[in-house]
Amino acid sequence: MSAILEVKGLTKRFGGLAAVNQVSFRVAEGSISGLIGPNGAGKTTIFNLVTGVYKVTEGTIEFRGESIQDLEPYKVADKGITRTFQNIRLFKSLSARDNVLIACHMSAKYGLFESIFRLPRYWKEEKVLRDKAESLLEIMGLQDRMDVTANNLPYGLQRRLEITRALALDPKLLLLDEPAAGMNPDETVQLMRLIGEVRDQFKLSVLVIEHHMDLIMGVCEHIHVLNFGCTLADGSPEDIANDPKVVEAYLGAENDR
Amino acid sequence: MNQFLQQLVNGLSIGSIYALMAVGYSLVYSIMNFSNFAHGSVIMLGAYLGFFLLTLVGLPFGLAFFLAACGTALIAVILERLAYKPLRDRNAPFLYFIITAMGASIFIDNSVIATIGPTPKTFPTQLLPSFLQSGSIKLGALDIGRIDLAMFIITAVCLVALVLFIDFTKLGKAIQATAYNMKASALMGINPSFVVILVFAIGGFLAGIAGVLYGMKYQVFPQMSGITLKSFIAAVFGGLGSLPGAMLGSLLLALIETFVSGYVSTQMRDIFAFCILIAMLVIRPSGIMGKTSEDKA
Amino acid sequence: MLSQVSDFLGQTVFTVYIQQIIVMTGINLIAVLGLSILTGFTGLFSFGHGGFMAIGAYVAAIFVARLRLPFALAILAGALGAALVSLLIGRLTLKLKGDYFCIATMGFGEAVRIILNNVNYVGGARGWESLPLLTNIWLVLGLDVVFVVLTWNLINSRHGRNLVAVREEELASQMAGIDVFRYKMIALVASAALAGVAGALLANYLQFLRPTMFNMGKSTDLTIMVIFGGLGSISGTIAGTILLTGLPEFFRNFAQWRLVVYGLAVIVIMVGRPQGVMGGFELTPSGVRKSLASRKARLALEAEVRAAEREGKA
Repeated sequence: MSAILEVKGLTKRFGGLAAVNQVSFRVAEGSISGLIGPNGAGKTTIFNLVTGVYKVTEGTIEFRGESIQDLEPYKVADKGITRTFQNIRLFKSLSARDNVLIACHMSAKYGLFESIFRLPRYWKEEKVLRDKAESLLEIMGLQDRMDVTANNLPYGLQRRLEITRALALDPKLLLLDEPAAGMNPDETVQLMRLIGEVRDQFKLSVLVIEHHMDLIMGVCEHIHVLNFGCTLADGSPEDIANDPKVVEAYLGAENDR
Repeated sequence: MNQFLQQLVNGLSIGSIYALMAVGYSLVYSIMNFSNFAHGSVIMLGAYLGFFLLTLVGLPFGLAFFLAACGTALIAVILERLAYKPLRDRNAPFLYFIITAMGASIFIDNSVIATIGPTPKTFPTQLLPSFLQSGSIKLGALDIGRIDLAMFIITAVCLVALVLFIDFTKLGKAIQATAYNMKASALMGINPSFVVILVFAIGGFLAGIAGVLYGMKYQVFPQMSGITLKSFIAAVFGGLGSLPGAMLGSLLLALIETFVSGYVSTQMRDIFAFCILIAMLVIRPSGIMGKTSEDKA
Repeated sequence: MLSQVSDFLGQTVFTVYIQQIIVMTGINLIAVLGLSILTGFTGLFSFGHGGFMAIGAYVAAIFVARLRLPFALAILAGALGAALVSLLIGRLTLKLKGDYFCIATMGFGEAVRIILNNVNYVGGARGWESLPLLTNIWLVLGLDVVFVVLTWNLINSRHGRNLVAVREEELASQMAGIDVFRYKMIALVASAALAGVAGALLANYLQFLRPTMFNMGKSTDLTIMVIFGGLGSISGTIAGTILLTGLPEFFRNFAQWRLVVYGLAVIVIMVGRPQGVMGGFELTPSGVRKSLASRKARLALEAEVRAAEREGKA
C-alpha cells in the first residue's frame, strides 16, 4: 500500500533540546494510524512539524510524494492535511455553523472585488458554501446544534465540531490530536466508531495521537510509539502490545495501576 | 573631541532614564507576555507624586523620592488587579489587554489634566538636596550636569540591584521560572498570582523613579506618557523581554539620538528613533539580545 | 433641487450647528469603519491611524490647493497614499507578534506628525490655512452610505469571515487554510485607505490642517468609538460614532472630563461587556434572526441537558 505521508529522519531542536530526534514513519493511504507515547514524547511536536507550525531542523516530510516540510501552515492545509488540537481551538464565540462555514471558504473562489460589489459569482458560490457547511454538519450529526455558539456546546460535541471543521477542507489526511481527551468510556466508543465512519465516508487517511489505549488498539491499524522524541517501536497493535520495550516504557506503567 | 565626549555624557544620562522605563516595561512583558501600554501613565504619576510630596507635603527629598516610587508600585499593582487580572482570568484575547491598557492610560492622563491642570510644573531647585542644586561638575574639560550624574548613578544602582535580585535571590528565581513557564512553576509551588503582583510592583517602582528623575531633569506634565514610546522602541531594539537587552537598547538608542541631535539636527532625532525601530524589525525583530521563539500549538 | 431641499432643511430642523455635527460624524464614521474592520473584526490594534488620516488629508490638500486638481482625484490620492504606506508597515510588522505591530503604529503616528511639522511646503507646525471648502454634507452622507454597504459586503462574505477567524484563533485559521498574513494585510490596507478618505474630507471641511490634529489622541478617539459600539458589529460602529461625536457637544462644559469618563468606560467595557453597545450583533433583519436562532438553539440544548439529567436520576 502506498504511503500518503512519509516522514524520514525528522528532527526538531529547541535550543539544545531535541524534542523530536530522527523519527521516521509512514502512514499508509486509507489507513487509521496511531502515534502514541508518554507525555512530552514529541507527538504534538510532530503534528506541528507536519502542518508547518514549526520549522523542521532536520529531515524530510513527504505528502503524496511531494515535499512539504517548509510550507506555511495554510498551504499545508490547502495541500490536504488538516488537524484538530489538543486544547480545542474552535472559534468559540461563533456558532457551530459559522465554524464550519469559515473552514469551507476554499470551496469558493470569488475574490475581494466580487464580494464587495456583490457580483453574480458571489451569490452563486456563497450558496455552494452554505449548502456544503450544512450538509457536513448533517453528516456529522450536528444539524440540531447549528446555531449554538461553539462555547456553549457540550465537550463531546465540541470535539466533534472540531473534526467537522477539519473535514470542511476536503482533506486527504486528517490529524487528530487527542480527540478522546476528557471523554468517558461511552463517548470514547462513539468516537471510535465516528473515526472509522469518517475514514470510510470521506475516503481519507487518519493519524491519531492518543493516550486512551482502548481507542488506539481498537481503531488503529498501525501504531508508531515515541519516547523522549525518539522512535521506540513501530508496527501493528499486536506487535506493539507484545513489544517488551513498549510495555516497559508505556503500557507497563498502566498495567501497574 | 570635547563635544563628542559631552554628547556622550548627554546620551548616557538620557539613556539611563530610557533604561529605567524600558526595564520596567520589559519585566512585565517577560512574565505576562503582554505590553503594558499604560506604563507611561504610571511614570507620569510618579513624577507628579514626587513633585507634590516634595513641594506640598514638604517631605525631605530622599523620602519624597522613595515614597513616590512606592506610590507608583502600588498604583501599578492596583491597575493590574482591577484592569488586567479580570481579563487574564477569562483568558481574554490579547487585543482586550491592549484596549484596556489604552483606556487606563487615557483615564489616568486626563484625570491629571482635569484635576491638576495641563501646565507643566518644575521641580524647585531650592528643595533639591544641596549637591544637586548648582549646575554642573567639571571633570577635566567636561561639564557634567549634577542632575545628569545623579540620574546615571541612581539608574545604575537600581538596575544592578534588580539584576542581583533576579539572578541571585529565591524570589528572583521564582520570577524567572514563572517567566519561562507559568503553569509549570505553579505546579512547583510558586504562586503565580504573587509573582505577577511582585513583577508589577517592581515595574511600578522603577517607573516612579524614572518619572521623578525625568521630572527633575525636564519638567512634570501630563503628556509625559508620550516618552514611553522611546522606551518601547528601546526595548524592541534590545530585545523584547530581555532585561539586559532593554538596558543596552536604551543606552544605544539614547546615544544614537544624542549624536543625531547634536551633529545633524534635533528634528531628525525622533525620526531616527523610528528608523531604528523599522531597521530592527526588518533585520532582526528579536532585537539585539532577544531569542527567537515559536508558539506551542 | 438638492440645494433647495438642503436650504429648506437648513432653516428649520438642521441648523448650521447640527449640520456641522452631522458632517463631523460622517467623516469620523468613514475612518471608524476602517478601524472597525482592523480592530473589531480582525483583532489588530493600531495606535497610529491618525497618521493615515494625516497622509490622506495632506495629500488631498496638496492635490487641491497646490496642484489644482479636482477633489474626487484628491480624495482618491489621499486614500491611495495612506494605503501604500500601510502596505509597507504591514509587510514589516504583521508577521511578528501583536506587540510589534502596536509599537510600530505608535511610532508611525508620531513619525508622520514630526515629519509634517518640518515640511514647510505643507505649512509645517504652524499649519496650513485657507484650504478650499469642498466637503459638503451630501458628499459625506453619500460616501457614508457607500462605505457602510461596501464594508457590510466585505464582512458578510468568505473574506470577512476569514478576518473574524483570524481574530478568534490564528492557529486554527491557518489549519483551515486561511493565509493569516494576507488577511491581516487586507484589513490594514482597507482601514488605512478609509482613514485616508476621512482625512481628505476633513482637510477640505475644516479648511485648515495642523499636524497636531492627527496625534495619538486622534487615533485613540477613533478606537474608542469602535469599542463603545462593540467589536465586531457594523451597526455598533455606526452607533458608537454617532454617540461619541455628538455627545462631546453636551460635555462642552466638562470638556476635560470627557476623556476621563471615556478612559474609565473603556476599562469597564473591556472587563464587563466587551461586546459594547450592540452586544456583538447587528441591527439588521439577518442579524436579529441570527441572534434569535442562537438563543433558541442554546435554550433547546439546555433543556435537553436538563431532561437527560433528570432521566439519569430517575
